[in-house]
Order: sequence, then structure tokens, then C-alpha cells
Amino acid sequence: MRLGFLAFRNMVSKPLNLLLSLLLLVLSVFLVTFVLQLSKQLSGQLDKNIAPFDMVVGAKGSPLQLVLSSVLHIDVPTGNIKLEEAEFLTKNPMVELAIPVSYGDNYKGYRILGTTHEYLDKYEATLLEGELYSESFEVVVGSIIAQKLQLKVGDTFTSSHGLASIGVESHEDHPYVVKGLLKPTGTVVDRLLISNLESVWEAHEHGEEHGEEHEEEHEHDIEDEHDHEGDDDHDEAHDHNGHDDHDHEDEHAGEEHDHEDREVTSFLVKFKNPLAMVQLPRFINENTNMQAALPGFEVQRLLGLLGSGIKTINGIALAILLVSGLSIFISLLKTIRERRQELALLRIYGLGTAQLLWVVFLEGLLLTLSGFFLGWLLGRIGIWITSLVTEASYGYNLQMTGFDATEIAFLGVALLITLVATLLASISIFKLNISKTLSDA
Amino acid sequence: MIQTDALQFTYENGSEFSFPDVHLKSGEHLLILGPSGVGKTTLLHLLAGLLPVSSGTISVAGTDFQTLKRRDMDRFRGSHIGLIFQQYHFIRSLSVYQNLVLRQSFPKKALDKARIKELASRLGLSEVLHKKVTQLSQGQQQRLSIALGLIHKPDVVFADEPTSNLDDANCTTVIELLKEEAKICQSSLVIITHDHRVKSHFKNQLTL
Repeated sequence: MRLGFLAFRNMVSKPLNLLLSLLLLVLSVFLVTFVLQLSKQLSGQLDKNIAPFDMVVGAKGSPLQLVLSSVLHIDVPTGNIKLEEAEFLTKNPMVELAIPVSYGDNYKGYRILGTTHEYLDKYEATLLEGELYSESFEVVVGSIIAQKLQLKVGDTFTSSHGLASIGVESHEDHPYVVKGLLKPTGTVVDRLLISNLESVWEAHEHGEEHGEEHEEEHEHDIEDEHDHEGDDDHDEAHDHNGHDDHDHEDEHAGEEHDHEDREVTSFLVKFKNPLAMVQLPRFINENTNMQAALPGFEVQRLLGLLGSGIKTINGIALAILLVSGLSIFISLLKTIRERRQELALLRIYGLGTAQLLWVVFLEGLLLTLSGFFLGWLLGRIGIWITSLVTEASYGYNLQMTGFDATEIAFLGVALLITLVATLLASISIFKLNISKTLSDA
Repeated sequence: MIQTDALQFTYENGSEFSFPDVHLKSGEHLLILGPSGVGKTTLLHLLAGLLPVSSGTISVAGTDFQTLKRRDMDRFRGSHIGLIFQQYHFIRSLSVYQNLVLRQSFPKKALDKARIKELASRLGLSEVLHKKVTQLSQGQQQRLSIALGLIHKPDVVFADEPTSNLDDANCTTVIELLKEEAKICQSSLVIITHDHRVKSHFKNQLTL
């Protein structure tokens, strides 16, 4: 008979003890692996989404909100900025690329983002089928949306005003046409409908021509900063436009009759030169009516806030792990006391002290391993459920992965605690007096 | 088979025991008689290697106990000695069958299922082989205890008061059973008892 089998039988012969030790262990491992995976995947996804851009320029307000809305597409925008005012960015020698993005409408809760083709290039989004948009009211569809809404090339839909899908006017006279479907990128692009900027403007203009019902909606969602920009700092904006970008007006004047009124939600900027990181945001924040936010910095700040929460949970999990180690220790100690005669009997049967230790250790090991794997499995199920929730409300889905290094290290810690617990519990085995134990009965 | 010389044992509390020399040939049986408290169980545990001698020598199956280390003593006991206790000792988390397998398994012996089934059927345990040991009746526990003392074909079987809880009929049955099994295994039988009913069954006797 293998000693492992004996250890297993011993373990399951006390179901209540087993349940208590196992529950504590499972709870601790669940907490650690779940939180670990969650924070790791969250920061991984955030990093991937902000990687293409170094700076975002938008209306004044909270920089975190600007990053969340314009780069991660999960919050409402801080407001709009004048296209004209921000276009100097595209001419700046330190800037590699500045892409305007504009929001206005949604389709069934998914945002329609007006931007240039360069936006897709930066996220390395390529077409699965169809072609890119070239005219107004043509869109390409991110992979998650295409799958969720069963959109195909050639489908048409009407957008709803604002960013939320509920109870909002729809622009029925300007239907969008699906021109292409995008391959999955694992980034925000997967849950965006992307059109050109003109689509957003034209849908807007149309909306503004309509009655008062719309007006309310506009003020709330898109143009809440309109007045502020237009009136308060108009002069300042013109000033800097004048000296920064001399040929700007010549180039664009007359291209569109109301160019000066064109607004975008923000500009996404990639720097050519790391020095720009220091100079440009400060310049924009001090000299213009707009604000510049650094996605990397804001995301780090956000994760810093999450980090303290994660540390707390890890601390709790570690405390539970210690209690679970204590529970295993007490359970083994009790087992050894109750089984003194059986252990003495095993010595009669030819097992040495080392083998007795091994049986007890195996019992602890089995308990730890099964607790660890159960807890780990529960953690992954937790990730899966969380993924369903975050995908429904934020469009973020989490990946199911195998063991990672930290989890293996955690297993090591759990095993070490078991080893110590077993050895401490087993001291009496070394001093076992078989003659006395067996005749005392 | 068993050879002792000037055996003495002192307990920690100071009580001292001196034992007469024991000489037992292979296949011979020995009945050790005496009232309670004269050290019968102590002698049995010394002979079975459960207690280290204070002075004197013991040799069982040609092996001098003094030459054995603790671990070697465990191994020697495992393969050469069978023990039947007054109180029954089993591994409670295992079934009857698993208890017998466990007794056969150490040190390094091949599993002999046929032997287990055969012995179980002779001792009337076939029906309960896969029951838990805690579910056995008193009589079944007695017989399992005997089976566990013999399953590994030891050279010597030591039995401590095997008949003390039994009525006359069962006493005779158990003694017959022990002698019969010892014969099949070619084992020597050493029984300690204060039960005079056993006397008539053994001619080789030692009174302490």
C-alpha cells in the first residue's frame, strides 16, 4: 500500500476538520489569485490602450476624466475644443502625430468615434473584411461590437444622440453604413464604431437645426463647455494661434464655410521627442484654453489608488493564509494525538519514524495542494464572472490564463507554512513509545 | 528461534524485572503464564523488540537485537514478527481489506491478494472484507486481530491475552485457530496469559 493512499484516507476520515482547513485555504488562495489577476490584467489592458499616445489635449476639466473618455472611452468627455485652436499641434516639430477625435452619437450604447484612419493605424487595427470609411456616415466596426450586434458589411443603422443608449433621440435621417469589420486587437478599438469626423459634425448640425428637445440633450452631453470656451478665452486662443501657426488660417480658410466653429472632443498626440513630454503639456495648460493630460501618468495615478486597495486585500488574504496554516497545524496535531496508537501500530508494521512523518506530511500536503487548486480555480471563475460584468458595463474582458509566477510563489509560501505546521505537529512522533502507547489503550 | 540470556528491564519509575532465559526452537510454541503485574507484557514487548532491554541479550530468528538500530528494528519487526494485542488496534480510516494490505506492505513485500482472501475466508472475514473496521462485531475484530498478526507469515507470533474477553467455547476456538494458522505459516507461537483455560493446549510452558 502506498503511504499517499493512507494519508488520503486519513485526511478524508475527518470530514469536518478537512472542511474547515480547506475552506480557509481556499478562501485565502481565491482572494490572492483573484485580486492578483484582476490588477495584472487591468493594468495590462490599460497599458495596451494608452500605449499609442503620449498626450491627450481636450477641454479643461479633470485630466483623469479626459484620459478616461478620450483614450479609454469609459467616461463622458470634459467638453469640446475648437478644431482650429488645437490644430497647431499637428505642425509642432516635437509632435509625430496628432489625431482629432470627436464623439457625438452611439449605436446601442457603443460609441461612434469620428477620427482619421491614422487612429486605426496606431492601434494596429486591420480589416477583417470590407474597406475603410471614405465618405461621411460610413463606419468600420470593432470586433466585439460586430460579434455582439451581428453587424455585417453593408448593414445600416441609425445612431442615437449622446453616449448612452437609453431614451435618446435618434438621427433617423442620417443612417450609418457599415463599410468594414475590424480584426480583434485586444484594445479599445474592438468596441468602437469608427467614422470620419465629418459624420459627427454633420449629424450634429442636423440635430441643432431641429427643435428644443434636442437642445437639452446637447447641453448635457456634448456642449456643456461650449459657452465657456467660446466666450471666456476666445482671445487668448486666437493669440497663440497667431504666433504658433502662421499659415494655419490661409491653409484652411474657405475649405469649409464654418471651419472656425468646428469642434472636436480632443486631440490624441504622439511625441517625436521625449522632451515634448516636459514642454508641450505645460505650454498647453498655461497658454491655451485647453488642457493637456498624459495618459501614462493618469493611468499610473489611477492604478496607484487601486494599488492600496489591492495591498489591503492581499494583507487580508495573507492573514487568512496564516490562520489556515494554524488550522492545518491544529488539525494535524489533533490527528496525531488521536492516532497515537495507529502510528505506533504502523511502527509495528515495519514503518520507520521518517515514514510516519512522511504520512503526516503527505496529509498536510494533500490538503494544501487541493486547497490551493480549488482556490485557484475559484479565482479563475471569479475572473470569468468579473469579465462578464466588466465587458457588459465597460467593454473590458479579462483573459483566462494558466499559473503565473506570483501564483507559483504563493503556492510555495503555502507549502512552506504546511511544512512548518506538519513538523511542529509531528514532534511527538519522534518520542513515540510504542510499547506504552499500545498497552495503554 | 528465540534465545534470551539474563534478561532484565527497568522502568523509568524504578520497577525492576528479571526474566528467566527463554529457549524456543523453530516451529515450537510457548505459553507464558503468571498473575497480573509480574511483567508478562513487559517480557512480550522485549521479545518483540518494542522495548529496549536494560541488560542481557535477545536473539530472534538468528538476529541479535543489540545489533539493530531503531530503524532496522522497525524493519525487522515488520517482516519477522507478528503481534496480536489484548486490545484491538486497527487503522480506523481503512477497510478490513486495506488494513490487511497495509500489514503486508512493509517493509517491501509484494501484495499477495490470494493470501489475504484465503486467510480471510478461513477466519470467516470474507463477508466483511470491504467494511470499515469500526463496523465489525467484537468477534470479527478478534479474528481480524489474529489475521493481522499472521498475514505477513512472520517467524514468531506474539499474542497478549488473546482469550481474556472470550467465553469457554470461543476460547477454545481461538486457540485452535491460532495453532492452526501458526502451523500453516510455520510460525512459532508465544502466548502470554493468566487464563488457565489455555494451559491444556500447550505443553511448553513458562511460569513467571
